[in-house]
Amino acid sequence: MNSPVRLLWLSALTCNGNAHALLNYPDLEHWQHRFEWLYHPLLPSRFSLGELLAQQPECDILILEGTLDSNFSKAGKDLTEWIEIFAPAARAVVTVGSCATFGGIFLEGGEGRSGLHFRRGERRDAYDALWEKSISLPGCPVQPEILASTLEMLAQETPLDLDVYRRPLLFYGTTVHNGCTRNEYFEYKIDEHRFGEMEGCMFYEHGCQGTYTHGSCNRILWNNVNSKTRIGQPCMGCTEPDFPTTGLWETRKHMGIPARLPAGIPKRAYLSLAGVAKAFHIERFRRPILDPVERYDPMKEQE
Amino acid sequence: MRKRVELIEKIEGEAEVSYTYEGDRTVDAQIRFLSGRGIESILTGRPPLDALAITPRVCGICGHAHLIATVRALEACYPELRISPKAEAVRELTLTLELLQNHFKWLYLTIWPLLFPRESVTMKAVEPSRIAAEAIALLAGQYPHNSYAIPGGIVGEITPLERLGVADRLERLWEIFRREIADVQMQAFLRCDRIEELQRKEGDFPRILREILDRGWERLGCSHDRFIAFGSNGLFVSGKSLATRITHSLDLRHLREEPVEGSLALHVLYRGKVYETGPLARAMLRKTPLIREAHRRWGDSLPTRIMARVCEIPHLLQYAMQLTRDLDMDAPAWIDPGPLPAQAQGTGIVEAARGSLIHTVEVREGKIAEYRIVTPTQWNLGSGPADRPGVAQKALIGLHRDDQAELIFKSFDVCSVCTTH
Amino acid sequence: MREEEQPSKKEQRRQQIIAGALKLFARKGFYTTTIPDIARSLGMSAGNLYNYFRSKELLAQEILRSVSSYLGRRIRYVNESDLPTREKIRSIVGLYFETALREPEMIDFFLRIYLSNREVFREGCEGMVCVNEFVTEIMIFFDEGVARGDLRNQEFFSAFGLFMGYLGGMVFLGGEQMLPKPLPEYVDEVSENIYRALKTPEAS
Repeated sequence: MNSPVRLLWLSALTCNGNAHALLNYPDLEHWQHRFEWLYHPLLPSRFSLGELLAQQPECDILILEGTLDSNFSKAGKDLTEWIEIFAPAARAVVTVGSCATFGGIFLEGGEGRSGLHFRRGERRDAYDALWEKSISLPGCPVQPEILASTLEMLAQETPLDLDVYRRPLLFYGTTVHNGCTRNEYFEYKIDEHRFGEMEGCMFYEHGCQGTYTHGSCNRILWNNVNSKTRIGQPCMGCTEPDFPTTGLWETRKHMGIPARLPAGIPKRAYLSLAGVAKAFHIERFRRPILDPVERYDPMKEQE
Repeated sequence: MRKRVELIEKIEGEAEVSYTYEGDRTVDAQIRFLSGRGIESILTGRPPLDALAITPRVCGICGHAHLIATVRALEACYPELRISPKAEAVRELTLTLELLQNHFKWLYLTIWPLLFPRESVTMKAVEPSRIAAEAIALLAGQYPHNSYAIPGGIVGEITPLERLGVADRLERLWEIFRREIADVQMQAFLRCDRIEELQRKEGDFPRILREILDRGWERLGCSHDRFIAFGSNGLFVSGKSLATRITHSLDLRHLREEPVEGSLALHVLYRGKVYETGPLARAMLRKTPLIREAHRRWGDSLPTRIMARVCEIPHLLQYAMQLTRDLDMDAPAWIDPGPLPAQAQGTGIVEAARGSLIHTVEVREGKIAEYRIVTPTQWNLGSGPADRPGVAQKALIGLHRDDQAELIFKSFDVCSVCTTH
Repeated sequence: MREEEQPSKKEQRRQQIIAGALKLFARKGFYTTTIPDIARSLGMSAGNLYNYFRSKELLAQEILRSVSSYLGRRIRYVNESDLPTREKIRSIVGLYFETALREPEMIDFFLRIYLSNREVFREGCEGMVCVNEFVTEIMIFFDEGVARGDLRNQEFFSAFGLFMGYLGGMVFLGGEQMLPKPLPEYVDEVSENIYRALKTPEAS
């Protein structure tokens, strides 16, 4: 049997959300058999922080969670030193969550904060030596399935295709919009949306960023059962470098035209399609899905 | 005088305790949290609703409590606001599920390894907490970190499909409790006041209790015997008590935060006094028979504190089951409250897993002018001078063994990240 | 070879019909113009014209699309230029007035047929479907103006109405010979008025 792949999870300024999210991975027990935790902030681990510093064991994969902060020290040692001790021998460095990748929510809370290779979308050079072996898994938090499979692929030495932020295309190559159960309301430009309902799309009024946020929230369901947009919460763009933007519940518009459009769609193409789609009154989308009085009759529409 | 500094790990981050000894006995224990994230300043200047997305990120294990505290603070900004019984019940449900998730994790990831270090029980924490998280996600979209509660109710509709999913998962959680923690009958357990009866049952909790009693540790970890809970709902009552003497009226104006030298966490006082918050405080205030009995025997000590938390699980489950059963499916999930007033102030109170959580927002010119968060760990882990010790600090004084100290410290269930928001 | 030439010849004929009908509709109105009138003006039989357009309504809709497409293409040219917002307004006003003078029937069709006989366009030209190209370019112009911080953010139609209603009104006054000066001499002032009405308080 191969020796287990040694994982070392280091937390910087964090809420521990990624560490907790991993615990929700449905088959954690079996997945874990292939790995050994030198350190995890929640799970039983081989070393304590003090022992790690004293013995400096080599790890195969270094996992970083939380916003990097030049003033932050852990067990009496600056975070920079921790990275310098453990990163060189590691086969890969994985930033989990948007904080470790881009700086995330805590970026604005103090001076000297950033992600490992980025400050928002801007490249930093402090850890250039690690660039080639770094993988970014942003999200707030990252979906446990993404983390578990990325670590598995790294363990198996399966090549990962990455985007410019070093996010694996397998998980960040499509948008959160993909698979949203409210898709039809977007496609046919039904711009009314009210909270508390099953119907409607949050893109037009309520700030949903799903169409230009790269992630798998509606393809790999959260906790195996749901997603934020499915329940009716606008996507807040948590996998992107500019997370968190300001005014998260409101769509920014220029003279009624959404200021940000679906990823890669030229404005002219979007507006032309929208103009056409909007022209038609489609009865089905104007009715509540569950309407006990005037139940929608699919046979009637076919006539 | 001898000094020793210990780094306490795996408490949602770390904290440092510096003990002072006379001989082999601790005479002081200063608790320090060494980082701060500045959430309150991050919120300043933002549109108020942004707080719904930012504050859950204070904490990966109790972020939902922060969301509910935020939405309540925002709703308190309206002169008048109505939410439907359905929305209210669903919020209570997700909050209760988060408490359950916390209690299971704490028991098996935090307490168990200190008492039985050779036995790996990770999956006993992971399985129920994953099930609780799924139930939250059914109602709220995902867990951790959603923002599904908004002024006026909740973002989406809840249908019989979700209700069934939640009801079934609550049954599974109860089965796990009986299989792993204590094999009891729910109704009998909720009324039970006989510790011996519980001790005789099959399960991990009776074993923990026996272990603590066998070691003769049942009087360790006593603190001020002063309890406080600000939140109330269908399960909890608010008030404060000195031992069993209860006062129900509380006034937030008497709450004061003060800095702790060398620490980035603020200490919090009510009328100049420290209070313990959390499951033990809640049990004392709602007079849970079993916990009152433990308190009568052992005071506000280690086993009483652990028992209060573990025994809250059946109460929470019963409450959640009742909420699910009684859910008024015809009520609207959201009632439009109109725009948030441009100038307003509001406070939101929640009983989180570890105790009372209080958010206060001040809105000026349509933006957050000030945001203040007081977390349970600030109450329990706040550190004062040796002659005016905080709750955990007092519990750590007078010990003779280091392994006692860590268990007592962690019996409070510390949330470092919350404290260092 | 024949097969490739034929559709193009047919297409040419189609364009001739659109141009001829546009003139007649603009001059005489939709209801008083008949298919035989249009056929006669083009030296073809009414029967043959029906091979191209099954009804007068469909013909009018096609004309609307082609006018919208013509104006849309010209505004797109402005949108794709590097001009500042103020100059873009001037260019759009200029090309609109110029079209009104050089191809008066186009603007007349817009104002007198399309806007006055909505029932003709109800089925087939729902919403903005037939004027999409034109409206899309105006949207893009507004969007960029706001993004640059030059134009005040507001609802689309409040800005669109101000812009297009004003231009339509000026062309109408010109057409009724009520303007003391020729239309092109109003370009500067009209553009300036539109700019001032739409600009942000900060823009110069």
